[in-house]
Amino acid sequence: MIIQLLLNGLITGCAYALVALGFAFIYNTTRTFHFAHGAVYTLSAYIFYTFYNLLNWPLFPSIILTLGLIALSGILIDEIIYTPLVKQGASLFIQLLSSLGLYIVIINFISMIFQSETKILNPNIQPTYSLGTVILTRIQVITAISFIGIFCVLVVILRKTSLGKTIRAMRDNPDLVSAMGINPQNVRRIVFALGSALAAVSAILTGLDVGIDPHIGMVAFLNGAVAVIIGGVGFFEGAALGAILLGLLQSFAIWKISARWQDSITFLILILFLLFCAEGILGKRRRAEEVKV
Amino acid sequence: MNYLLHLLTMINIYAILALSLNLLVGYTGLLSLSHAAFYGIGAYISTLLMINLGFTFLPSLFLAIIGAILLSFMISIPSLRLKGDYFVLASLGFQIIVFTILYNWIDVTRGPYGIPGIPRPNIGGIKIESIASYSIFSGIIAVICVVLFYFIGDSPFGRVLKAIREDEISAAALGKNIPQFKIKVFAIAAGFAAVSGVLFAGYMQYIDPTSFTLMESVFILSIIIIGGTGNISGPLFGTILMIILPEILRFLRIPDTVAPNVRQIIYGILIIVIMRFQPQGLSGEYRFE
Repeated sequence: MIIQLLLNGLITGCAYALVALGFAFIYNTTRTFHFAHGAVYTLSAYIFYTFYNLLNWPLFPSIILTLGLIALSGILIDEIIYTPLVKQGASLFIQLLSSLGLYIVIINFISMIFQSETKILNPNIQPTYSLGTVILTRIQVITAISFIGIFCVLVVILRKTSLGKTIRAMRDNPDLVSAMGINPQNVRRIVFALGSALAAVSAILTGLDVGIDPHIGMVAFLNGAVAVIIGGVGFFEGAALGAILLGLLQSFAIWKISARWQDSITFLILILFLLFCAEGILGKRRRAEEVKV
Repeated sequence: MNYLLHLLTMINIYAILALSLNLLVGYTGLLSLSHAAFYGIGAYISTLLMINLGFTFLPSLFLAIIGAILLSFMISIPSLRLKGDYFVLASLGFQIIVFTILYNWIDVTRGPYGIPGIPRPNIGGIKIESIASYSIFSGIIAVICVVLFYFIGDSPFGRVLKAIREDEISAAALGKNIPQFKIKVFAIAAGFAAVSGVLFAGYMQYIDPTSFTLMESVFILSIIIIGGTGNISGPLFGTILMIILPEILRFLRIPDTVAPNVRQIIYGILIIVIMRFQPQGLSGEYRFE
């Protein structure tokens, strides 16, 4: 029982981690609190639903095309909404509020077109694997494997390639990046494309597992954003660590209390972290004037 | 006629909500997404007191305000050290926790079934029964609140809030106790939101948790963003516009199934456009800088 809960928590954590990593990529690099990340999540679930269920395309082309379209829409969101604001020198508050506005627009378009009831993407009974007393569905196993694969690739990109160095440099000091002759706009595009695609992977996997409705994005975004903060803002590994910790804590909390209180538990964890360990697991203490508003 | 009076009552209720949120957002620079929670807390406390314990209107209004103020400490004290995005997320968390409690604590709140049969206010023998008298009654309370907001904004207290908004570290350097000011302004805003909640419950005579969701918090925030923040006229203007806008849409014959979506899409686009071209809103003062 304990092992089953542990594994369930870990795998839920993996799904959160993909969203959290996407959010962290965007947040750490551009400092934009990308609320619309949740809308991108919902959007990717519905784009995949359109290809895979409505048009009856095979699985892999549907996934590839969804990821491509979502990466593109990530870039478009940045170009249309955030970049003009950044060029105006608008504050982060303004970017956050615009992002909230964009979230509202996208989610309502989706529920206008597809209605708001839950859609099942995968009507078949899922094959399961059992290891002793532990039972895992195939989609759970795929989620875990995808996360581990993607995480390893990301770590290699961030640590070993010049692109990774640029992204980390932009996190530390964006002005210096452009002084080095690198166009920060290109870095933004890459970060938004990559971050959105990561959310799409999670949306497709979770959608195939439990179905989709227009509001899944908000829950996913909240879990992702909370994971980034408890893991430590500014650290890409922190996002993954925070997400897995969150998945585990939720899994045990649901077992002890009830699934109805899941969202409350998430935020209780956040508030406890903000109270006692505001810089997150991997973060280090900063002086008040260093913390950007 | 009743239709216009209904709109007037809603404007009165939302004006108090918008102006109290304005104290946090426009004066202090704290972007809060938990205002619907305090609105709901006010509505539920007064309703439960009136229905279960037979309280009359004024004592239950008073206790609802006290309750909302006490609960505001639960968010203001933990989030004192938080700035910007962290604060937004913490307030959003509080909103979701309150909603989950209203929805799931069925023994007390009846959860999704809601509470029907809330009595109309009875003040010293004067019963406020008809829609017309309710619009006047809520109007009087709204005017009292607007005057109070004006004095709060114009007082030394209000000026310190604006100093915190502009530069928290400098305000602290001038010897202002920033945490104390934030706790106070949060308590004041929560108390006023509770007044709106009590008015809403007494008017609708039925409440359920769906009136106090995260989207409602976003709606209240969008009222003051579109109207403008940092003064009195911005939120008032925003309230009138945002209450009347859906009624105008009604005349455009948009089918009922998509009307709520169309309305929200318009709010969203308005927020984006205002933030881009006129961040102080239509009639506000604070530019979110």
